[in-house]
Amino acid sequence: MHRRSGRLFGENRLGAPDPHLFLYDLREMGISRSVRLSRIVKTPDNFVKCALFICSSLTVFFVFLVIVFILSSSVPALKELGFKNVFFSTKWSPNVSAPLKGNYGILAFLNGTILTTIGALILGAPLGVGTAVFIDEYAPVWLKGLVFRGVEIIAGIPSVVIGWFGLTLLVPMIAEITNTSGYGMFAASLVLALMVVPTITTLSFEALQAVPEDIHDASVALGATRWQTVSRVLLPASLRGIAAAVILGMCRAIGETMAVQMVIGNARQLTFNPLTRTSTLTTRIVTDMGESHGVFRSALFAQGLVLLIFSAVLIIIVRAALKGRALSQ
Amino acid sequence: MRRKRMLSFVAIAITAILLLLPGCGKKEEKPAEETKPVEQELSGVVKLSGSTTVLPLVQEAASRFMDENPEVDVEVQGGGSSVGITQVKEGVVDIGMSSRDLKSEENDGSLVDHKIALDIIAIVVHPEVNVSSLTSDQVKAIFTGQIKKWSEVGGSGGDIVVVVRDKASGTREMFDEKALGSSKDAPVEPVASAIECNSNGMVRETVASTKNSIGYLSIGYLDESVKTVKYNDVEPVLEEAKAGKYTLSRYLRLFTKGTPTGAAKAFIEYVMGDEFQRAVVSKDYIPIYEL
Repeated sequence: MHRRSGRLFGENRLGAPDPHLFLYDLREMGISRSVRLSRIVKTPDNFVKCALFICSSLTVFFVFLVIVFILSSSVPALKELGFKNVFFSTKWSPNVSAPLKGNYGILAFLNGTILTTIGALILGAPLGVGTAVFIDEYAPVWLKGLVFRGVEIIAGIPSVVIGWFGLTLLVPMIAEITNTSGYGMFAASLVLALMVVPTITTLSFEALQAVPEDIHDASVALGATRWQTVSRVLLPASLRGIAAAVILGMCRAIGETMAVQMVIGNARQLTFNPLTRTSTLTTRIVTDMGESHGVFRSALFAQGLVLLIFSAVLIIIVRAALKGRALSQ
Repeated sequence: MRRKRMLSFVAIAITAILLLLPGCGKKEEKPAEETKPVEQELSGVVKLSGSTTVLPLVQEAASRFMDENPEVDVEVQGGGSSVGITQVKEGVVDIGMSSRDLKSEENDGSLVDHKIALDIIAIVVHPEVNVSSLTSDQVKAIFTGQIKKWSEVGGSGGDIVVVVRDKASGTREMFDEKALGSSKDAPVEPVASAIECNSNGMVRETVASTKNSIGYLSIGYLDESVKTVKYNDVEPVLEEAKAGKYTLSRYLRLFTKGTPTGAAKAFIEYVMGDEFQRAVVSKDYIPIYEL
């Protein structure tokens, strides 16, 4: 009854691990006359359980620690300068030797972060979702693999390399075409679009794959063309998953620092013109953290706090979207 | 369940201890430093405070010096040039670090000046900018945004792109002070559209690759990728700076009350010595053996 036809070592026919079969398989191989079930299965199992539990509690602890640290570090700025002077002022002129005399309004950088992120999604989301639909519906098998590898390679390029590419190629090109310096939110959005595409593509593809095959087949059986199937059946059915993919791409865009810093121009001004130099929250932190102290340092942490809140809110939205998807199915 | 809870508790406790230990250590050190009576140089403690521009140099020197002389303890704090000068006069520290000369009201003849490096800033532009000399007024107007086009200062081409250093930089501090007329009570900021760079190298890279740009560099970083501009018709070279004609320059100084002795003397000699000057100072400044 235990013969191993049609199942893997130590597993039952359904693919679930089974200690008795495991033992049986060992015996079959002639190894195990002295091996006892408890020794093989229970002892290592408990040990692994403990080790993994320690790992996970450490992770949670670190998250907790980071949150507490950022919160407590940004309190001095909010207390000394006032909420309004930090979040609703565009005047950023830190004073290194006497921090309290400076101005620390982060509105211009908040604006930079939001606008570059929106720009990145306008450029990157259609590209990512489009690629996912192409791989899922249209591409022949060999091309599917090729596109996937390409997307994976983009995902693996370090951000500093993409930033450098932007600095040496995109910025001069934009400068040439628009007759500006080339630095600015547009360049940053382009670079970020490239960086969010892998995230959005992979996750959208998964969302599309999760649509039950029956629905797809039913649509085709009713005589719908491929595009009709995609636009009226697949995309609506996977909408929540795709929304989650786009939002996770957004998280990436908001947090990206290095690549953006190289092309956005690092200026202090508030601007709505995509071809004008400005900063984002992340690039301002990395530009100014050098030898900052006192409220100056704390104002930088306040920007970190804003980023933390952004990502927390986005994660909550993703959770809600995915939870809804699970229910609707 | 109970076991699980125990485990997580132990894990968290261990991490907490590991993380908090170094933090506690530091906290305990600081008050001790402040309350300690002023020790004379013979005790093997050298205390410095002052300019944050000189600070990185001296910190590097301190760690190297202490490696060579483990019995000597060098304590370095920032605070700014004025603080350094005041504290060395009062005897709170042995050496005051300064990025400027004594003001007349500070100069009571008790302090000895040790110049440890010369800092010269050159104004540079993108190679295609056809301007070769700027007056100090033009420089100020360009960097504060009053002049926006090269055509206003005799050049051709479009909007000027201003490139500056980050706020924490000593080079920026000196430029703001000497070229823009910034002071502690009336700070002058460069134009808000200015590109801020974290290092001399980054400024050079940005100016070299951005059309119509202007920026400033410590002269150790000058090369063919950028074009140097005369300031008030004076070339940014060592001779002119030494003669006092090129004004965008300053000495980095260490002040002692009277002639230094013991460990303080040894430390100053180390900072001024060829080995340290060659290995560290020459990276960002003109070392004193070239003066």
